[in-house]
Amino acid sequence: MRFRYAMVCSSNQNRSMEAHALLKRQGLDVASYGTGSHVKLPGPSVREPNVYDFGTPYKQMFDELRRKDPELYKRNGILQMLKRNLSVKLAPQRWQDNAGDGVFDVVMTFEEKVFDSVLEDLNNREQPLMKTILVMNLEVKDNHEEAAIGGRLALELCQEIEGNEAWEDTIDDIVAGFEKQHRRKLVYSISFY
Amino acid sequence: MVGIMVSYSRETLEGLASSAKSATELAPKLHCLRNLRRDLQKEASVFPTELLPLLFDLLSDQFGAVRKFVAEVLGEIGLKYVELLPEIVPLLIKSHKDETPAVARQVIVCGTDLFRSTLERVAVQGLHSSELDELLESSWTWMIKFKDEICSLAFKQGNSGVKLCAMKFVEALILLYTPDPSGSLEPPSHEGIQADFNISMLRGGHPVLNIGDLSIEASQKLGLLLDQLRHPAAKSLNSSTIIVLINSLSAVAKKRPAYCGRILPVLLSLDPLSFLNGVHAAAANLALKTVFLSCLKCTHPAAAPDRLIGALKEIEGGGRTDKAEDLFYKTNGSIQDKDSVEDTKVPLEENPLCVSSLVAESTFGRKRSGSEYNIDGNGDALSGKRARIIPSVSGESTEGLNGNDVGSLPLVASTSAGPNKSRVVSDTGPVQQLVAMFGALVAQGEKAIGSLEILISSISADLLADVVMANMQNIPPDDTSYADGTDDLVMNMCIVGSDAQIKYPPSFLAGVLSLSTAFPPISALINRNIPKKENAGEELCADHVDQQMFSAEDAVLASGLPASSDTFPVNEEGNIVFPPNVHYRGNIEGGIPGMDSSAQNDVLLEASVTSVLGSTNVEAASMNQDASFSGEPLLAVIPSVSVDKSEEFSPKTTGTGCNSLVSSTATSLVSAPQFVLPKISAPVVDLSDEEKDNLQKLVFLRIVEAYKQISMSGGSQLRFSLLAQLGIEFPSELDPWKILQEHILSDYLSHEGHELTVRVLYRLYGEAEAEQDFFSSTTAASAYETFLLTVAEALRDSFPPSDKSLSKLLGDSPFLPKSVLKLLESFCCPGSCDKVEKDLQNGDRVTQGLSAVWSLILTRPGIRNDCLEIALQSAVHHLEEIRMKAIRLVANKLYSLSFITQQIEEFAKDKLFSVVGCISSERGDGETLIDDCKKKDLDMENPPKKSQSVSGVGMDTSSEARSSTSVAEAQRCLSLYFALCTKKHALFVHVFSIYKDASDPVKQAIHRQIPILVRTMGSSSELLKIIADPPSGSENLLLQVLQTLTEGPMPSSELIHTIRKLFDTRIKDVEIIFPILPFLPRDDVLRIFPHLVNLPTEKFQVALSRVLQGSSQSGPVLSPSEVLIAIHSIDPARDGIPLKQVTDACNTCFAQRQIFTQQVLAGVLNQLVQQIPLPMLFMRTVLQAIGAFPALSDFILEILSRLVSKQIWKDPKLWVGFLKCAQSTQPQSYKVLLQLPPPQLGNALTKISALRAPLTAHASQPEIRSSLPRSTLAVLGLVPDSQGTQTSQVQASETQTSQGQQQASESQQTSQSQQVSVPLSHSETDHQETSQVVATQSQSSPIGTGMSETSQSQSSPVGAGQSELSQDTQVSDSNPPATTSHTQTSDSQSSNQTHADDEKIDDTAASENETMEVEKSKESSAEEEE
Repeated sequence: MRFRYAMVCSSNQNRSMEAHALLKRQGLDVASYGTGSHVKLPGPSVREPNVYDFGTPYKQMFDELRRKDPELYKRNGILQMLKRNLSVKLAPQRWQDNAGDGVFDVVMTFEEKVFDSVLEDLNNREQPLMKTILVMNLEVKDNHEEAAIGGRLALELCQEIEGNEAWEDTIDDIVAGFEKQHRRKLVYSISFY
Repeated sequence: MVGIMVSYSRETLEGLASSAKSATELAPKLHCLRNLRRDLQKEASVFPTELLPLLFDLLSDQFGAVRKFVAEVLGEIGLKYVELLPEIVPLLIKSHKDETPAVARQVIVCGTDLFRSTLERVAVQGLHSSELDELLESSWTWMIKFKDEICSLAFKQGNSGVKLCAMKFVEALILLYTPDPSGSLEPPSHEGIQADFNISMLRGGHPVLNIGDLSIEASQKLGLLLDQLRHPAAKSLNSSTIIVLINSLSAVAKKRPAYCGRILPVLLSLDPLSFLNGVHAAAANLALKTVFLSCLKCTHPAAAPDRLIGALKEIEGGGRTDKAEDLFYKTNGSIQDKDSVEDTKVPLEENPLCVSSLVAESTFGRKRSGSEYNIDGNGDALSGKRARIIPSVSGESTEGLNGNDVGSLPLVASTSAGPNKSRVVSDTGPVQQLVAMFGALVAQGEKAIGSLEILISSISADLLADVVMANMQNIPPDDTSYADGTDDLVMNMCIVGSDAQIKYPPSFLAGVLSLSTAFPPISALINRNIPKKENAGEELCADHVDQQMFSAEDAVLASGLPASSDTFPVNEEGNIVFPPNVHYRGNIEGGIPGMDSSAQNDVLLEASVTSVLGSTNVEAASMNQDASFSGEPLLAVIPSVSVDKSEEFSPKTTGTGCNSLVSSTATSLVSAPQFVLPKISAPVVDLSDEEKDNLQKLVFLRIVEAYKQISMSGGSQLRFSLLAQLGIEFPSELDPWKILQEHILSDYLSHEGHELTVRVLYRLYGEAEAEQDFFSSTTAASAYETFLLTVAEALRDSFPPSDKSLSKLLGDSPFLPKSVLKLLESFCCPGSCDKVEKDLQNGDRVTQGLSAVWSLILTRPGIRNDCLEIALQSAVHHLEEIRMKAIRLVANKLYSLSFITQQIEEFAKDKLFSVVGCISSERGDGETLIDDCKKKDLDMENPPKKSQSVSGVGMDTSSEARSSTSVAEAQRCLSLYFALCTKKHALFVHVFSIYKDASDPVKQAIHRQIPILVRTMGSSSELLKIIADPPSGSENLLLQVLQTLTEGPMPSSELIHTIRKLFDTRIKDVEIIFPILPFLPRDDVLRIFPHLVNLPTEKFQVALSRVLQGSSQSGPVLSPSEVLIAIHSIDPARDGIPLKQVTDACNTCFAQRQIFTQQVLAGVLNQLVQQIPLPMLFMRTVLQAIGAFPALSDFILEILSRLVSKQIWKDPKLWVGFLKCAQSTQPQSYKVLLQLPPPQLGNALTKISALRAPLTAHASQPEIRSSLPRSTLAVLGLVPDSQGTQTSQVQASETQTSQGQQQASESQQTSQSQQVSVPLSHSETDHQETSQVVATQSQSSPIGTGMSETSQSQSSPVGAGQSELSQDTQVSDSNPPATTSHTQTSDSQSSNQTHADDEKIDDTAASENETMEVEKSKESSAEEEE
């Protein structure tokens, strides 16, 4: 069974892109989104983040930050991350603004807030297709190391789901198995297109 | 043309369908079907009915994917060609039971679309005509059948993906069957779009559909859905079903708020935890939470927000409810604001100023935040919380209005009028929908009575009341409907609400509104519930202080009161208001300087600074203001009181002040106009970014600098927290951390640097870990790292190593990043040698670093491995000083910690093995190195020589250098392991096992360490175990270990036992015994003595000295004489030891004259001479003794004479030795010689002819001559040999024998027969039974003669000696001749004596001579007897 996956975090930079890159490399049909209002990247201080609109190409951010303070952004791993991202896709996309991207089978989110946003958005949409969509949340801290771990877990989970004819009947077992194996909490919900 | 196209495409379609059918593989089938679908979508005209059967056939295809696809296609066809529905739907009904879930789901999806479209068609057609066309009617019938099927599926027990779809279908059904309150009521002109369809467009008289029936059915279906979630049924559901159920229900509740009242109670009472566990409960809870959160946004009265929040609290355990509350209040608040804006639309048109103020207010209702939102200085803080109060306020006020005290509350009423109205409007969102619904139903007349009843029964009483009230709006306003006294009030409201506002400045309006909302219910005021009011006042005062506003306030009062004077009797007194008002103003302005007084400098700066910081000063000040503000309206009425009050600074007194004022006003004046408190706005100064930064920096510096005062006043904790927090908040350009660091480091101790640093670190760490945004955590993490590192480095540089600050800091920090660990590492393992030498304190640094590492390992499990790694690296550091320190730590302290023991051991073992590995790889370089090693082996004892020998080869120098470094290298790697060995002796075994493969430098390194190591270890049982079973190749090592072990005090018996056993069983090398030689029992030593003798001279010397020296406790194992005797008792043939070794051993002994003294030798000889047979080397030893101690010659002569009595001549070897001895001791020996029987004397003279002349001369002395027998004299030729033939015969035979022997020895080619013949003749003359002796002699003769030639001069021949011994034994045993029997007895006597003498020798040297003399006399007497 071939499903379509969406990886969603808040800025579509770190966690979702890590998972996106990973799943893409494994040949899964995957897209990624953010649910925040803007794309925020660390700046020189907490109060001065670099804020971009969704849709700003990663390349542009990369060039800009490299110009601003290459040392800083290399040290905190932002440049490397952006470089990875720009090899995956053009620009960060906002989940709420990309309803037209078609029907997904599985949505993975990496933060409860994001999970709620996705569900809220899905519930606010018209649901004429009556097609189920599985939304799962895996809590992943927003740093590079955790994102890498989260990406691997997401991949594993998606591959597990991919192996099933219809996840509707097996999702409980999949989730229970995953939680047992990785000792991580996984919540899911089902919505409709 | 069209026809052709149609026919053409029809054929194509059929072709595609049939080929799809005939194909056997999945892929081509799907391909055909896809093409078919594409063509169908293109096709616009009539559908080719012939195609249907083909498709129907495909519905039973073997592949699920095909069936699904066909179902999809059929659904599309059905949508497009309605006339085909009666044919399609039955098949769909059949297919929904398909075994592949995907097909069944697809069928339901298609069916839903078909159902919806059919329903629309039916509805629309029914609107326009009273009859439906037949086709549509039958379609509808089928659709109803389909619906029933699916519904039964949805309500069936069970869990499957299909059921999810079916439930979704039910949801769609319910939505379709019930009127959409938000939809348009007008029927669509023609077939509408899906989304616009609304069942409410059905009017009465529809031929098929009855809106009431539909509602009832929908209600039933909803009931069924809800039943599934009710208690026992829900147990059997899986979580996905529950989630979908909950979601569906929530969707219904949202879209049809009328059902909220039914749905929410079920959801609220659903407690997934009670019947589900684990994942399922979590999932269900989550779904519930989502639903509740979304319901909170729903403004329907049945939504019961309080219960929702409660339920959410339960689910979340409090976590997210804040959010929920916020959400609720926010939405409600914003609605309120919106409505209030709408509400004041009319006045707004009249007064544009009002618009701005109200808009500003409404924005504040939504977002309340700090200084950024100062719009035109009208900063008002209408928070959601206060907004929430409004309904009750208005409700109460309404009561108040209707009550008696009408006149007393005019202003209150007027202010509450706005919110009151707005509430009505706000509630009309959902209520309006209901009203519309009722309207629609009522419009249908009696037909709709049933539906109305259902509707009424499904909504709560409260809601119904609201609906009624909302509906009253529709009743045209009629003044007469209001009761008596309220007329005035209403009028009043109007005035205040519209006309009067023209006169009021916008700020006043804002103030009034905000106050009215901000204040607790009026009833509370009436009840004199002052504290509440106070709270409200405080909140107010949290806002900014705006001096400019004060004048505006005054203006408000000035203008506001006269404005109301028309309507109230109070207003007459209002004229008096002005003076106190002015007073008040001054008072307030006085309040600001008052605030300044607490600060020091610039008024404006300080004011805003304090306001930003929210420091206590400001609080006090604002309290102050609060007091004055709350008093302010009162001032307007009773100036005197308020003046007093404004001087009171404490908020409490303010409260009481107010209280008293209230009562006073209540009595003195009409009532509560004073409660209309104009709002005070904050002073807002717009600062540029730069100014802001500057300010912040100044603030920061000020706090930093104020450490003295603060620490004195005991507020340093607060200060630390404040600094840490500000550091995070401030932009990085200010570099607050740097300022802080400078402060900390300028005087670490007195500035409480540690506490501050730790506080900052914790704050930063919290920030980094707070799972916030990516960017904030990353920034904080890097700030953390920099801060800690900077402080740590500064501590390193500024404090002596003995200082504990750094260690304490590291121990208290919440987390140690890599860079700090690296710093620590640089302490423990300083890099380059040059630098190390420069730093004099380096050693202490290492100690400092290591102790820090130690405490971290103990207290920080998280970074234990990293720290341990540092310690271990330090333990193999190339500098010995550092290494030893680290090793001490690791071995003594860390190794005993059970949780890291294993790791340490592994590491040390790795290093140990790496030594072997790396050396072997070095060997791979070339063979020269091996050669080199060999050379070195050879030259080990003489290094200078080695270097000379090596220097010839150019390459060798480098390799030598390498090897010398590798000794150090080996030591570097080994020391740790050795240290561990002392802790755990069993580890030592690995040293043994690598020893064999170890290269030379490594061995050297090992040997260097072993003494220390083994001494520390002692002979523990583990070590003994290792010793008992040493790996092959480790003998050298073992030797050293043993040596070391035995060096100290008396070795344990176990050790001795082990070594003995080892020697007996495995290692034959006697050297292994050396170390314990002194401790072995005498018998054992004697037993192994031959082995010792067999060693090379040097080693024998060592052994000898050990044996002689013995141990301190037990004294010497063997005395020197015993040693000599032992040597003499060795039988080379029997013990398998070359004779040469034995003689060498003798020589070795003689070389040590201070041990083997004259007396010792005398004693030994004395003993030896009594042995039967005589030791082979006896004569040799006697000769040596003479050589060594000429003084012994007398004693030797004694011996010789005793030998004569023992018939020494019978042993040829000893005989030769005897003669030599006699020769060397002449002339004293003449006496002895003369004692020989004449034949032997003759023999002797023949052998050593040089003796003849002197002996004859000696004998010819008259006194001697007289004592000699005649035969002797005859031999000497002193008398003619006419005496007897017998003698001459004997002599002749003797001569013959000796001649024969001489011949043999000279020619060295003696044949066996000759040898045999010689003894024969000899024995014939002497004894009767010599035939046996001859036989023995002849057997051993080949060896004996062979040896005899070589040993004639020095040593006695082996073979001869042997035969001699056996011969002698036989002779003495079997046939003792009469002559010797006496000698033997005397011998045994004397031997006894000698034994006694021997003991005496040891005691006194003086008695020695006496005994010897005694012996001599005795022996001489024995001879005389003979």
